Amino acid sequence: MAFGFFQRDAGLPTRLIPVTTTVLFAIISVVPLHIPGFAVVTPAFALMAVYHWTVYRSDLLPPIAVFGVGLLLDVLNATPYLGTSSLSLLLVRSALLSQRRFLINQPFPIVWSGFLLVTGAVFFFEWAVVSFVHTGPLSAQPFIFGAVLTVASFPVGSYLLARTQRSFLMRV
Amino acid sequence: MFIVLGKADIVVFERLRVGVADAASPILQAVAQPIATAAAGVRNIQAMFGVYQENQRLHEENARLLQWQEVARRLEAENAQLRGLVRFAPENAVRYVSARVIGNSGGGFARNVLVNAGSRDGVARGQAAVTGEGLAGRVTEVGERAARILLLTDLNSRIPVVLEDSRQRAVMAGDNSDEPRLLYVPANVQVKVGERIVTGGAGGVFPPGLPVGVVASTDGGVIRVEPFAELSRLEYVRVVDFGLEGVLPQSAVPLPKAPKGVRVVDPDLTR
Repeated sequence: MAFGFFQRDAGLPTRLIPVTTTVLFAIISVVPLHIPGFAVVTPAFALMAVYHWTVYRSDLLPPIAVFGVGLLLDVLNATPYLGTSSLSLLLVRSALLSQRRFLINQPFPIVWSGFLLVTGAVFFFEWAVVSFVHTGPLSAQPFIFGAVLTVASFPVGSYLLARTQRSFLMRV
Repeated sequence: MFIVLGKADIVVFERLRVGVADAASPILQAVAQPIATAAAGVRNIQAMFGVYQENQRLHEENARLLQWQEVARRLEAENAQLRGLVRFAPENAVRYVSARVIGNSGGGFARNVLVNAGSRDGVARGQAAVTGEGLAGRVTEVGERAARILLLTDLNSRIPVVLEDSRQRAVMAGDNSDEPRLLYVPANVQVKVGERIVTGGAGGVFPPGLPVGVVASTDGGVIRVEPFAELSRLEYVRVVDFGLEGVLPQSAVPLPKAPKGVRVVDPDLTR
């Protein structure tokens, strides 16, 4: 697993699919969808991708890629506190690595519940970090709505990622 | 570490942000276009169901507007006369750049949008971004073909405003909620819900009198403003160059050298 990422035999483009889809999910979360109020509570699509790939193919989503995606998210969003997303996504990755053996063979509701816990933790962490740096508690409402919407839309994101995984990565 | 670095070396990180925004703008534009078309389609279908009521409403509105037109004509004539009397200096010529919103920051921390116009279109930092309804925000970062607009509701947005009826000056500060707060309003000033808020012109960033919003609530001494511009569904903005030089470029402002243990409260004020 340690040298899995740059093994050439399966074709580098195929092996890059987890990274590519994660970047794509990050970009989607920035595109304006023209739904009133949606921008504030946009689901954290990148979090879904990181969760999915860490559970099912953690060898193909190395920490540096997770870090890069977090940075991309922060830069595109111009969040005042650069690196918050990188930090939270990396924490998610390291927390999941210890649990993935349990999660990998579980039915979907269990995996979904795991995502619920992770999302709750991530949104709380981000709210806490930003409130701390800003020297005052921010309104928690957008964070709560964002977390709820993220958990609610997880089945869709997870389904798309699982389809991608089944089509391209079965034998990798 | 980045969180600290991003605050410490603002210039480098701003360049990084602008660079990435510039590079990503063609991709974002390509993805945003079909979504905008689909959204327009959905809106058209929705609109078809309400055509009758809409027509009724427009008739009434038209009647009302005709009255206002009369009033405006009269005031215009009077204004011209009075200006002639006092030799009022005309305002600066303004230049508009219309731009489409191609990126929308999500999450709980930031309220800003990325638009597809940059320095090559004449957009510069500090310019005002308006919609048909009113002020939306101001330009904070400019790349070659993309620019970032800090919305009124962002945590770092501070706009000098005036309460239109009482002429009381105040600062409108965003706090990431939909309705920014009014700061520095003396306790003895009566603020009515529904009172209009316009830009104050202090600081030389915006010209005075741009419509901003109305007072939405005054609960417990916290005055909240509902912006006229629908910030949650921005599609196009006009970036307006009023020829004002109020905002200094980043490089012209020496960063404060804070002694150890003293924190600079809001470095974004130096923008």
